[in-house]
Amino acid sequence: MARVLLKNVTKRFGSVVAVDNVRLEVKDKEFMVLLGPSGCGKSTTLRLIAGLETPDEGEIWIGDRIVNEVDPTERNVAMVFQSYALYPHMTVYQNIEFPLKMARVPKHERHRRVIEVARFLGIEDLLNRYPRQLSGGQQQRVALARAIVREPEVFLLDEPLSNLDAKLRIRMRFELRKLLHDELKVTTIYVTHDQVEAMTMADRIAVMNKGRIQQVGSPREVFEKPQNLFVAGFIGVPPMNFLEGTLVEVEGRIKLDLGEYQIEVPSNYWSILKNHVGRTIVMGVRPQDVYISIKPVKGWYKAIIVGYEPLGTETYIHFTIDKKKDYIAIAKDVDTIRLGMEVYWHPNPNRLYFFDKNTGKALY
Amino acid sequence: MNPRVRKRLWVIATYVVLSFFAFIYLVPFIRSFIASFMTWEQASAYPPQWIPNPFTLINYVKLFRLELFPRWILNTAIYAGIIVAGNIVLTSMAGYAFARLSFPGRDALFSALLALLMVPAFITLVPNYIIIYRLGLIDNILGLALLGIANVSSIFLMRQYFLSLPQEVFDAARLDGCGPVKAYFYIALPLAKPALGAVAVYQFLGAWNAFLGPLIFLRSPENFTLPVGLSFAFARTMWTEYTPIIAGSLVAAAPTILLFIVLNKYLIRGIAITAGKG
Ligand SMILES: Nc1ncnc2c1ncn2[C@@H]1O[C@H](COP(=O)(O)OP(=O)(O)OP(=O)(O)O)[C@@H](O)[C@H]1O
Ligand SMILES: [Mg+2]
Repeated sequence: MARVLLKNVTKRFGSVVAVDNVRLEVKDKEFMVLLGPSGCGKSTTLRLIAGLETPDEGEIWIGDRIVNEVDPTERNVAMVFQSYALYPHMTVYQNIEFPLKMARVPKHERHRRVIEVARFLGIEDLLNRYPRQLSGGQQQRVALARAIVREPEVFLLDEPLSNLDAKLRIRMRFELRKLLHDELKVTTIYVTHDQVEAMTMADRIAVMNKGRIQQVGSPREVFEKPQNLFVAGFIGVPPMNFLEGTLVEVEGRIKLDLGEYQIEVPSNYWSILKNHVGRTIVMGVRPQDVYISIKPVKGWYKAIIVGYEPLGTETYIHFTIDKKKDYIAIAKDVDTIRLGMEVYWHPNPNRLYFFDKNTGKALY
Repeated sequence: MNPRVRKRLWVIATYVVLSFFAFIYLVPFIRSFIASFMTWEQASAYPPQWIPNPFTLINYVKLFRLELFPRWILNTAIYAGIIVAGNIVLTSMAGYAFARLSFPGRDALFSALLALLMVPAFITLVPNYIIIYRLGLIDNILGLALLGIANVSSIFLMRQYFLSLPQEVFDAARLDGCGPVKAYFYIALPLAKPALGAVAVYQFLGAWNAFLGPLIFLRSPENFTLPVGLSFAFARTMWTEYTPIIAGSLVAAAPTILLFIVLNKYLIRGIAITAGKG
């Protein structure tokens, strides 16, 4: 049993609060991804769990004991670093053997386990090489092997794929999940700032920003039910469009007043929004859910094309309503689109999000 | 002017200037080398002559006939050996502690140590002499070596080197079960070979050529190091002529020169390490 529990953990570096009152439970054998922008405290969280940093406040539990005072060597966690941190002066064999040697495992037993792990990861041909003689992908496997060989209870990975090229990254993210989750079945905390990695690998995602956990949930949950503006804007490519306006009630219908024009709020959201009439509200709609037409359609809104990015199978269309802010729509058939053209748009009425402007909280 | 021609001219100018200075520095050395194969009459003739005639090894023969000469070489070797060994062991530990361990007062202590670099050696000479005297180690190579077995610049160099190693490697070692001591022996020390090489070379050169310390702390001729011994021979006019002394200086300089030729990449790396981060 190796669940990991952070209870109101805070870590400061001088005046910087790197990790701010974080509460996070990672269940036994779960694959948890910590996702967030650069500098949000992901690595610090991982290092706190590993014991490389000590928390200023809060408790860290691994299994059924508090490990705040437990030395990193005694915590039975293994970590794969972003730079892999292989020992440059040791061969691959010696690198993998090193943690066993430090744990005073007898020599023949060490040999057996190194060979076994190397076979498992397909690196048995590299055992006599030095790290500098390996490609990025091979170094990564060695780093994994060194972490696995100790049979840790908890696996910590800090952006392990960020140094690989795009193609290898896609293959490795599939293999890593298979290895750690399906074969070794070990509790894993995986740090990344790449949301595609997070969505494809995680059992659950913990979205972080500015040292705080914003939301914890399955990939589907954080995508479909973001709890606040940050999560809504961070998850999804291209990012969600936010339209800010005042909620008004006109002749019994609720509308969002954008200044230029008023957008009709579909009636299925009225019950949620009734109490917010008169307040400033942010409406969110994903680019996938914005429809664009070059001919006027009844009930659709005017916009002007300010740019488009063809990506092969689809095109990102940038349009504006008030000539200040850009919005993005995804379209398939764009032959007739021209810059500066007046078009008509409409959001999918079933896929809208509403947020309180002041608190940033989603209204459901 | 076309940039390639300009670059070429720049390179030529650099070479001319460097060769000029190299020549100025080398002349006395070349002169000594030639003179060591001349008789004293020829070497002292005016205008100076540049081709030994007759070519003779008598100066070297006289040198090695001097009973104390091999003794001085041995003394110097012992002295330099202790200094090098002491510096490698002690300063790598100190540098590691300053770079990789956190303990109260670390930075203040390190600043204090660096401040020592600004104290001229003459100022500490008398207190050092008194200490060594009280220890009863005057006129003893060991006493002399004791003063140099750790050195602030070596500590500084080692610290800078350890700082330049990636933190993640040490973090990984920590998780793999290394406390600070094991991390020193298994990780830091093997990775520090270039820095250790630089420390060893610098300290060897310093010890081999040291003059002031040996002159003050050693009394009896049989305990002298080579530089002091040669100057003693020179001053006592053990020979009436200078050519054996010239030969002696060349013999004394030989290891230094050899070392420099073989290891100059370490020396340059040492300078590069120190010039790195603060
Ligand atoms: N040792 C340290 N000393 C001072 N500040 C630090 C230290 N480590 C991290 N920080 C600060 O804490 C904050 C969080 O850093 P952290 O490395 O955890 O971010 P991250 O989410 O891992 O970012 P990235 O995606 O860039 O790796 C940053 O503002 C960083 O500058
Ligand atoms: Mg990080």
